[in-house]
Amino acid sequence: MMSMLAMGLPFIPGWDQLHPFIADLILIATIVAVLLTPFFTRMANAACAIVALAGVGLALLALLVFGGGSPGLYFRGLLVADQFAMLWKVMLLIFTAGVIFMWFTTSMSSMHEGDGPEFFTLLLGAALGMSLMASTSNLLMLVISVEMASLPSYVLAGFRKTNRIGAEASLKYVLFGAVTSAIMIYGVSILYGMYGTLQAGEIARQMQAGASGASVLLIVAMLGLIVGIGFKISAVPFHFWCPDVFEGAGIDVATFLSVASKGGALALLLRVLMEIANGLGYHNQAGVSLTGLSIAIGTLGAITATVGNTAAFVQTNIKRLLAYSSIAHAGYMLCALSLLVQHNNALATGSGQVMSVGSAQAILLYLAVYLFMNLGAFTVAGLIWRVTGSEQISDYAALGRRAPLLAMCMAVFMFSLVGLPPVAGFVAKLNLMMVLARNGGAWWALVAVIGINTVFSLYYYLRVVKVMYLTESDEPDVAANPLGVGLAMASALMLVVLFIGWNPLNKLTTNYGRMFLSSQNGGATASVESR
Amino acid sequence: MDFLRHNLLTILIFLPMVGALVTMVLRTRDQVRWAAVGFTAATFLLSLLLFVTFDWNQKGPYDYVKYDAGGAAIPGSGIVQMVQSASWIPAFNIQYKVGIDGLSFPLVMLSTFICFLSCIASWNIEKMPKGYMALFLFLETGILGVFLSLDFFLFYVFFEVSLLPMYFLIGIWGGPRKEYAAIKFFLYTLVGSIGLLIVLIGTYLYSRGFQGNPLGTFDLVTMASPAFQAHLGSQVALAGALAKTFFVLLMIGFLIKVPAVPFHTWLPDAHVEAPTPISMILAAILLKMGGYGIFRIAYPLYPEAAKTLWLLIAIIGVVSIIYGALCAMAQTDFKKLVAYSSVSHMGFVTLGAAVMTPAAVNGALFMMVAHGITSAMMFFIVGVIYERAHHRELSRFGGLATTMPVYTGFSTVGCFANLGLPGLCGFVGEVMVLIGAFQAARPDSLIMKAYPGDYPWIITLAVIACFGVILTAGYMLWTIQRVFFGPEKAEYKGFSEVDQREVAVLTPLTVMAIAFGVLPWLMFFVFTQQTVDALFKVLGVR
Repeated sequence: MMSMLAMGLPFIPGWDQLHPFIADLILIATIVAVLLTPFFTRMANAACAIVALAGVGLALLALLVFGGGSPGLYFRGLLVADQFAMLWKVMLLIFTAGVIFMWFTTSMSSMHEGDGPEFFTLLLGAALGMSLMASTSNLLMLVISVEMASLPSYVLAGFRKTNRIGAEASLKYVLFGAVTSAIMIYGVSILYGMYGTLQAGEIARQMQAGASGASVLLIVAMLGLIVGIGFKISAVPFHFWCPDVFEGAGIDVATFLSVASKGGALALLLRVLMEIANGLGYHNQAGVSLTGLSIAIGTLGAITATVGNTAAFVQTNIKRLLAYSSIAHAGYMLCALSLLVQHNNALATGSGQVMSVGSAQAILLYLAVYLFMNLGAFTVAGLIWRVTGSEQISDYAALGRRAPLLAMCMAVFMFSLVGLPPVAGFVAKLNLMMVLARNGGAWWALVAVIGINTVFSLYYYLRVVKVMYLTESDEPDVAANPLGVGLAMASALMLVVLFIGWNPLNKLTTNYGRMFLSSQNGGATASVESR
Repeated sequence: MDFLRHNLLTILIFLPMVGALVTMVLRTRDQVRWAAVGFTAATFLLSLLLFVTFDWNQKGPYDYVKYDAGGAAIPGSGIVQMVQSASWIPAFNIQYKVGIDGLSFPLVMLSTFICFLSCIASWNIEKMPKGYMALFLFLETGILGVFLSLDFFLFYVFFEVSLLPMYFLIGIWGGPRKEYAAIKFFLYTLVGSIGLLIVLIGTYLYSRGFQGNPLGTFDLVTMASPAFQAHLGSQVALAGALAKTFFVLLMIGFLIKVPAVPFHTWLPDAHVEAPTPISMILAAILLKMGGYGIFRIAYPLYPEAAKTLWLLIAIIGVVSIIYGALCAMAQTDFKKLVAYSSVSHMGFVTLGAAVMTPAAVNGALFMMVAHGITSAMMFFIVGVIYERAHHRELSRFGGLATTMPVYTGFSTVGCFANLGLPGLCGFVGEVMVLIGAFQAARPDSLIMKAYPGDYPWIITLAVIACFGVILTAGYMLWTIQRVFFGPEKAEYKGFSEVDQREVAVLTPLTVMAIAFGVLPWLMFFVFTQQTVDALFKVLGVR
């Protein structure tokens, strides 16, 4: 009797613990609903899509109404709630809704009847994983969320069962993913062995206290972590799956992976890195070289951007081109993650809090813009594929005449991806460059790399525009799905609006760029217990 | 009147854009043409109102900004007039700020004028007239935005905005190698723009704390002041190499646009492929954006670096003059010849900036306007004959004076204005720049005060630049001889004389070419003096 009392009451989460994660909970409920839907209707595909869309919409609404909860650790430190995670979830849900909407206009007609429930279960499952990625700094949860995002993605990549390229892509994806997650788990287990905890914040505190001097082990562990997450970001050299999967998977899956998977992984990596950097006070400590980590991430970003851009030069398939483009953009965003060290420069302002906000703000703003560019560009590609059955850029010839609205939208997306005003891609890139330049010193080199890459990228993005407008063709007009054209136009319009409305966007991302970093509160263990 | 004084510039910038939207919803080709000509005409007429609203009676001493005893800027005190500003992105202190001064006034007038004329020249565009006119009007918005914006960020946005329509205008309506020419134009300019972007970020970050503002500033007027130079000078990082780097990046960006040798290779390609009206705009206005940027941004913001690097820039200018002229002489294609002559003439603008004497800067500003008139005229002249002969081979022409006497008359004026015959507009600019270049050798010039040892360089470069005038005369006269004189050729016998529309384009240009040649004070005393005075206050600091 006494021993039972000593064990305490079983942990039953209340509303105050649950409501920060209301969106994730609704997503789980939606998955169940999607699985049940075919029992009630004959048109399972469309019905599931509607249920999924409704569920995502409801989750978004609930998240906006109830907010992200008070910042802190939840569920004994397994999950984190803060503004950063909330804004990422909002963007993820908007994007997922956009992808489902896009499915109606592009892939619905070609999907085998009865496949819908599986498809949307997997899609929402992956979305759930990507949502959780942004709200954890616990290494166990990190592994779980990455796997939760990855496993459905593998299946989604090969979902077109009769498509050989799809099957090949899926297998490639699985093999790559399995190896990298093994390495990641290896790294995580080393970290656990060294510090005896799975909380990134606690690890950072112990690092600062100098509890471990085994730096080779630490480097191996950190490398393992970066490999696992780098695979999801498709950082070079873990990017090989990306173009193959994008080419082999359905257009909606490729769209989804291009933003959601990368964004989630970036959010995750940012949080872990910031926990560590924050714990170490954004500068060098004996035994741990934060500068080294910072250089490694910055170099990784620079190389990823450059490789992505140069490899895109020779692509003839629009999906492969966009895949390499997404690698390049992930590279730009990785550069923002390198802001771990406060450069001793008159330009660097304020405390570590400012550093983490700067980094998070740059990434959030970039993702907010990137989401619309990619959704739009893939939608146009999907609509044209549905009519002409081709994904070759050369088949876009004279699209300016054959489908004027689509071509105009595509041109807007291409210019936005280059980063030219007056569209929002420019704002995202400029903001990123400003945040980097503000830290001064070696970060100017990253600014220059991004600048040079912009010139590289112009060539291949402009090639799409060139084919659409400058090349003549006798092909008939493309009668695209009007709903899809509407989606593309809305995305294009959004890019112009975000360009003019840089200020509100900036304010939003700055306010929501605040991360809860457990390593910055001295008594974070107490807050772990209390929640 | 008050309403106009406050909003005229904004209306000027965005009226063509409204026109672009209107043309997009019109149906027939005729409607589109009339709408486009109407909107460019309206813009031109509105820009004439600037003569009324511009305050001509400003008294010196001229400054970009004046400060009261406490060191705070007095709003509206500088030479920049009709300023309209609104906060756009407060987080970065980015403003929508437009205004006009002696530097931008002539270029704005030139832009609206040339856009109007080249819109008339575009009357016979067959292929997709709707898209053409919409892009054309969109381009005009970009151009006017560049010349009128006083915020670095806004300037950059318009600078890029003017790129996009140009790409399509060359790429879709161009000649046989249009795709190559269009992408080359785009890539070259974008390389320069990226440099500008880096300077934009850097200048903003280093301007933090200026006048107690924790945010930086993008305000080009505030930054063009000795006080700002003192602020930059107080920052260790910017005193030396970094300021030079920024200046070099700015100059590369603008010299690509000018274009100066060795960044000029996009120009002949773009000109040869572009349709006639677009060539007119390209030569008359887009090249001036480079020159304008030099005098609006590069020199006022980094005067010390400009002084240190004067020799490099002067050499680039002189090489452009001579090399451009020699290339022009070697051309067999009439249009390419005119394109290279642009390189040569714009070299005078670069040289005028580099030597940093009031006379030379005056001359450079005049040269920009004069070249705007003559190059537009020359490209139109080439276009007229190309429309009839369907080739531009200089060697195949001859004897046109007999078949088309009126056309020959216009062309001769154009050629003479281009080669710089006294009494026509080309002469004044060239001569002023050359005088200014020699003046730089005087002991009280900015360069001599800083680098007395550069005396032989100044003299040598000025003398070499003089030979450019002779070379120009050489190739222009030879062109007149090859195209218009000699025995009448059978294949050109049936050519029709210039029609009313063509006369309507050529006459105003001819009048302007003569007017600026006979009455150069039209520009000098009213416009440029203020600008030059204010500019030299900034250049002369420290």
